[in-house]
Amino acid sequence: MSTRLKSLLSYGIPVVIAVVLYVTAQSVDRAMANDFTGLFLLMTLAMAWNLVGGFGGQFSLGHSIFVGVGSYATAVILTTLGWPLIPTVLAAAVMSALIGLLLAYPLLRLRGPYLAVGSLGMAVASYGWMINWNFTKASQAYAIPVSGQISLQETYQYATILLLIAVVSIVALVRSPLGLRLVALRDNEAGAASIGVKRVRTLLPVWALSGLLTGAMGAVYALQSGSLTVDATFNIQFSLDAAIVCVIGGLGTLSGPVIGSIIIYYLRKYAADFANYALLIEAVVLVIVVRFFPSGLVGLATKGYRSITSRRTDASKK
Amino acid sequence: MEFVNNAVSGLLLGGLYAVAALGLSLVFGTMKLVNLAHGQLLILGAYLTAMLIGLFGGGDPLLVGVAAAVLLAVVVYPLQRYIITPVMAQGEEPPMTVTFGISVVITTLLIIVFTSSPLPTWAVEYATTQWDLFGIRIRLIYLIATVIALVFILALMWLLKRTAFGRQVRAASIDAEAAGLVGIDVKKTYARVMSMSAFVAAIAGVLIALSFSVAPTTGTGWLLRAFTVVVIGGLGSLPGTLFGGFIVGLVEAAGAAWVGPQYRDVIVFGVLVVILLVRPNGLFTKVAKA
Repeated sequence: MSTRLKSLLSYGIPVVIAVVLYVTAQSVDRAMANDFTGLFLLMTLAMAWNLVGGFGGQFSLGHSIFVGVGSYATAVILTTLGWPLIPTVLAAAVMSALIGLLLAYPLLRLRGPYLAVGSLGMAVASYGWMINWNFTKASQAYAIPVSGQISLQETYQYATILLLIAVVSIVALVRSPLGLRLVALRDNEAGAASIGVKRVRTLLPVWALSGLLTGAMGAVYALQSGSLTVDATFNIQFSLDAAIVCVIGGLGTLSGPVIGSIIIYYLRKYAADFANYALLIEAVVLVIVVRFFPSGLVGLATKGYRSITSRRTDASKK
Repeated sequence: MEFVNNAVSGLLLGGLYAVAALGLSLVFGTMKLVNLAHGQLLILGAYLTAMLIGLFGGGDPLLVGVAAAVLLAVVVYPLQRYIITPVMAQGEEPPMTVTFGISVVITTLLIIVFTSSPLPTWAVEYATTQWDLFGIRIRLIYLIATVIALVFILALMWLLKRTAFGRQVRAASIDAEAAGLVGIDVKKTYARVMSMSAFVAAIAGVLIALSFSVAPTTGTGWLLRAFTVVVIGGLGSLPGTLFGGFIVGLVEAAGAAWVGPQYRDVIVFGVLVVILLVRPNGLFTKVAKA
């Protein structure tokens, strides 16, 4: 397959799927629409996290901040300024991207576990701040004014567009020179630096995009939930979910977060009455994957595929 | 007077923080591993103690805590030996991810077995006793924690500096490969260190449960507190842990007095973030990381 065809396919297939889903969205029943919204939001979250945590090798435990900022920005703008929906979501996403820059600039001094703990500290500190702040109505619920007027099918359409934007922008970024620099920095920082790759200049735009997408995800999440609490949005569970999904699916791969999201989302859906057991299974699987299949399910599948194809070529040589 | 009062209680609270951070510091100092499950080990220690007290039909939490600590040390040994150590060769991220996974496992197991409501407090006299010393209030449990911190630090330093096992641990931490070449079983040594860390963590967990409300999800907050202590005291330095504990205790007491007690977490973790940003390798580390 030529590279041009390949790149055409990698943008074309998601666009076609998204258009089909968008057009058929109104004929889907409410429960299914709500289901797919949840799945797509998890996918977007995981893909945005994967940009930083997988391709960038920076195990962020602070992404819940972006979800919180995105969802609360949506709520506050809709309530106090009364903007139309699309500009509101965009503004919320941009705000979250700015927060991403603001957090990343200092965080980039840290590496490995320090970055994980530093970002976790930020997440827990901002939770502690928000739950005491009157601006977010502290521990009370914050209602989204328009939520009554938006049907679940519409929310599902927004989630579809968001997921498409996430896929296209992430594929574009990973294929770009910036993406190559990002992976080079992750794999060998000294080596990358020696050929002129600047750490901060490479990582800042990546954090900004990750913050943008996660913030937009938070905005759609706000539309889906109808009312917000600090407990539900600034919850570090979002960071944990993203990390678990990506590690199980395959860190730093394009399809890893997608596959991981589908597995985790449906595991949770069908084990909803045993939510804690689902989480327990996820965590155990996470440990097993890291211990025995470090490159995740995608890595395992690729390895399996390669071993089959290479055996075939060996046989044909004989 | 209120100022002195806050300072003294902050300092003694720091003693409790030091014990809580000791295991984390030990593991980091010897195997350069940041154990993201440390907070959950603390909490698990408290829950195991509660379970054993229920099983024995009573008993002093601190004494039963020793049994729980032994139990936890035994449980943690194979985890380190067969799960964490093998992935340590893959680099920095995988062991961190594994300990993170273990922390989620512990939290959810605790929720499944004990529900997510807080652990019922133990009705022991020394948990609530408060002494009045020339107008300065002293909570006995904090004083006990500080003494235990001192005893553990001295014992661990003696163990590391004066015994054959300590020499093996130090050799493995300086150069694991060379230590292996001279016949030290590095993998077993690591597992033993993790067991020691878990032992200390379980006792610390009992002290925490005697002083604060403990629930399955409170582990993360304690991990961050312990990490703050370790970063301030110098990564891997055992006496530094006591010092770091005192500083965190004082900062928290000052923050609670000036800003408001509900902002305790914001202040302590804010300090952690600021320190990490200004001195990414800890406050008192001289060696610059390449």
